[in-house]
Amino acid sequence: MKLFALCMVAAAMGLPGAVRADTRPAPAIDREALSHPMDGLTPDEMKRFQHGRSLVRQSWVVAPAGDGEVSGLGPLYNRLACISCHAKNGRGGAPGEPQQRMQSMLVRLSVPGQGPHGGPRPHPVYGDQLNEEGVPGVPGEGRAQIRWVGTKVRLAGGEVVELRRPSVAFTDLAYGPLGPVRFSLRVSPHIAGLGLLETVPEATLVDLANSAKPDGVRGAVNRVWDQQAQASVIGRFGLKANAPTLRQQIAGAFLGDMGITSDLFPTENCTPAQRACRDAVSGGHPELSTQGLDDVEFYLAHLLPPMRRDADQPAVRRGEALFAQSGCAVCHRPALQGGAHPRYARLAGQTVAAYTDLLLHDMGASLADGRTDFLANGRQWRTPPLWGLGLLTAINENTGYLHDGRARTPEEAILWHAGEALPARKRYAGLPKESRQALLAFLQSL
Amino acid sequence: MSTGFVTSRRRFLAGMATLATATARAAQPAVRPVVVMTSFQDELVSRFEAAFEKAYPQYRLQVLWRMPHDAAPYLRQPAQGGVDVYWAASPRTFAGLARDGAWRKLPVDRAGLPDRAGNTPLADADGFYTATEMAGFGFAVSPAALSARKLAAPKDWTDLADPQMLGQIALPIPARVGFAPPIVEIVLQAYGWEQGWALWSQIAANAVLVDRGATFVSDEVASGRCAVGVSIDFFVTSAIANGAALQFVYPGHTGVNPAHAAVTSSSPNPQGAKAFVEFLLSQDGQKILTHPDIRRLPVRPTAYEGLPAAYFNPFAAAANGGLQFDGEASRPRVGLSSAVFQQMLVQPHGEIRDLWQRVRAAQSSGKPVAAARKLLETPPLTEAQAADEGLRRQFVNRLEGNLGQQVSAAEAAWQETCAKQRNAARQLLDEVGA
Repeated sequence: MKLFALCMVAAAMGLPGAVRADTRPAPAIDREALSHPMDGLTPDEMKRFQHGRSLVRQSWVVAPAGDGEVSGLGPLYNRLACISCHAKNGRGGAPGEPQQRMQSMLVRLSVPGQGPHGGPRPHPVYGDQLNEEGVPGVPGEGRAQIRWVGTKVRLAGGEVVELRRPSVAFTDLAYGPLGPVRFSLRVSPHIAGLGLLETVPEATLVDLANSAKPDGVRGAVNRVWDQQAQASVIGRFGLKANAPTLRQQIAGAFLGDMGITSDLFPTENCTPAQRACRDAVSGGHPELSTQGLDDVEFYLAHLLPPMRRDADQPAVRRGEALFAQSGCAVCHRPALQGGAHPRYARLAGQTVAAYTDLLLHDMGASLADGRTDFLANGRQWRTPPLWGLGLLTAINENTGYLHDGRARTPEEAILWHAGEALPARKRYAGLPKESRQALLAFLQSL
Repeated sequence: MSTGFVTSRRRFLAGMATLATATARAAQPAVRPVVVMTSFQDELVSRFEAAFEKAYPQYRLQVLWRMPHDAAPYLRQPAQGGVDVYWAASPRTFAGLARDGAWRKLPVDRAGLPDRAGNTPLADADGFYTATEMAGFGFAVSPAALSARKLAAPKDWTDLADPQMLGQIALPIPARVGFAPPIVEIVLQAYGWEQGWALWSQIAANAVLVDRGATFVSDEVASGRCAVGVSIDFFVTSAIANGAALQFVYPGHTGVNPAHAAVTSSSPNPQGAKAFVEFLLSQDGQKILTHPDIRRLPVRPTAYEGLPAAYFNPFAAAANGGLQFDGEASRPRVGLSSAVFQQMLVQPHGEIRDLWQRVRAAQSSGKPVAAARKLLETPPLTEAQAADEGLRRQFVNRLEGNLGQQVSAAEAAWQETCAKQRNAARQLLDEVGA
């Protein structure tokens, strides 16, 4: 704020160079497209935004350490920083070979039954997420290796698209056999525009779920546990809409992925069987301060949503029409009307052009993870927002689509759609090549 | 039109069934950890992690992240905390720990790697550590902002002292921002102690200060809030590579800061440590440094082959007489000079800016203000006093990013001296009606 204020003082004093310049490059070539603040933040807000950004970029330190604000990695963790998985706030991908580590994805674990408040029941020894790494003296839990199994799909006109699906093996398990376990692979999504998703009124989502839809599409809301409100509410974040708020999604990721406690999740992620983990030095109580969590939430809530590019190109416009005609837009709704935001008035009342309905849909056996998550069954996934889709590979060359990164292109992702989305997938696969290319060009414009 | 899976549905479902159960794969050849302590940003570390593990699948990198000031205590633990390799951009930390016997002789072949870039050594004379990459110091400039203000792009430090630059320079605080301490010494070495501090006083008067942990110098310039920013190059050149409408100027007087790697004397995995350092120095490892998100300067000259002409080549610059800054010579004093900068120019920054505006206005109207000007330009101690070993020792641990230091007695004395000089300057200006 001080710096900004000084420059503004210079402007007010009529000193040389008192200009307002916006040199933001065109989004189409901007690899920082998912990192810009919304327009119009005040100097105080910009200070919070920048502090949140510094925490998102921060590599966390094993306790005890001299850098108190960023001390407390682990004891069990996956990666050191938020940007390890969300490089430039973008999307991650899956490893190509079994020996490659999961740099931007993780494995959720559970056993049959329900945990507290109806969520998944964590594995009694390994918890709810495989933490591959441990701080010195604490063994990492083990490795998940992916081998890809190929399959092929033939499109109209005879083109064959090679798909792949993951086969997972767990190795180097440090705390004994996993035994019967439900697991689910998760590639990190991009994280711009999340604040606006929080403004879509609950009533809108309920109405959407209850409305009649073509092609046998249904759609359901998830109801999940709000840690702060201590109540069951609608879920809207996470691949199964299993997190109620952006704040809880952030705090959950800090704990699950980096082992950083917060006021929402004040207990380290060690199970009773993990003695070294429980005995490890803590980085503070909590390790991420409430102010830090506030600022990370502010930062993510105020990232500029992905901006469309080339929307007026004829192929893109044609693709947009085909997207609707094929039935894609029934779930990937082009826009939702935002209402009030519980904390940030700046976000209220905007049109949220995220291409999602935030509802759960049965996506068929081929994408099923068999893992229930509150009301979501093992075949249901939340419709992922598509905004920013066309920016992802420019930001991260190893981008994978769908929950587990199996799809290397948007087309592969479409071809994995089944269940409620099967009619739409069939329409896409039946389109002439030129029309399919137009539809893909539209997706690239998002 | 009939479309569908080429494989039969039955075969496909059979395949899915195998997915429903995780397999615990039998023992495989052991993958040994290589424990690396570093302070590099994740964009850089993650790329090296992936590439190293691909090249050496028998090893798995375990990264311990620590700022340089926090690394030394960790490495002084029993068995050096199990660390195999220390890898960071902090020459003082490497030199200090070398004196403690922290490193083993570097187990790698430096063939093809020059020993110097300009006046910067790239290899430890005693063979304990080696430079793995470099970063240069200079100016981020916004052509649009300069043009709007009708300012020319600065070519050297003296251009930043131009009164037209008032309010236009984003300047990192040397004692607070990790990369910034050598910047003070670059100017002092280039222009001499007295003229150097005089120049810094004028530049600071034009500057808005950037602290650690929030905004970036490149933010301030890219946004147009400032037209110029003093910076280490990669923050800016990476922003440019990612689309920011900026340029980076290497001034006439500048130098590079080397990052190093060393293998600990207690390394539990010396073979893995050797492999990692060799990978850092290999052609493949050096090429990673040129990624748009990293933009460091390789120490292997062949890594510059095939890069765009605009990519700064420090070896070419040195061959043309550039990069004269001797970072090694400055090392004993760099903590002290940052502390002086803090007391002389940062702590009283508002006063400095206001007094210089009065001096400049008076000069324009022909009033005699040379004595007042001299008072603002004079540091609180002489070069000879700054050479005192005992005094320097007080600041030797003021390493990059080491915040929260108490103000020492020496600093309190400098603060008082500087305050007296400012008061005297103010009185002189009052007397001539400036």
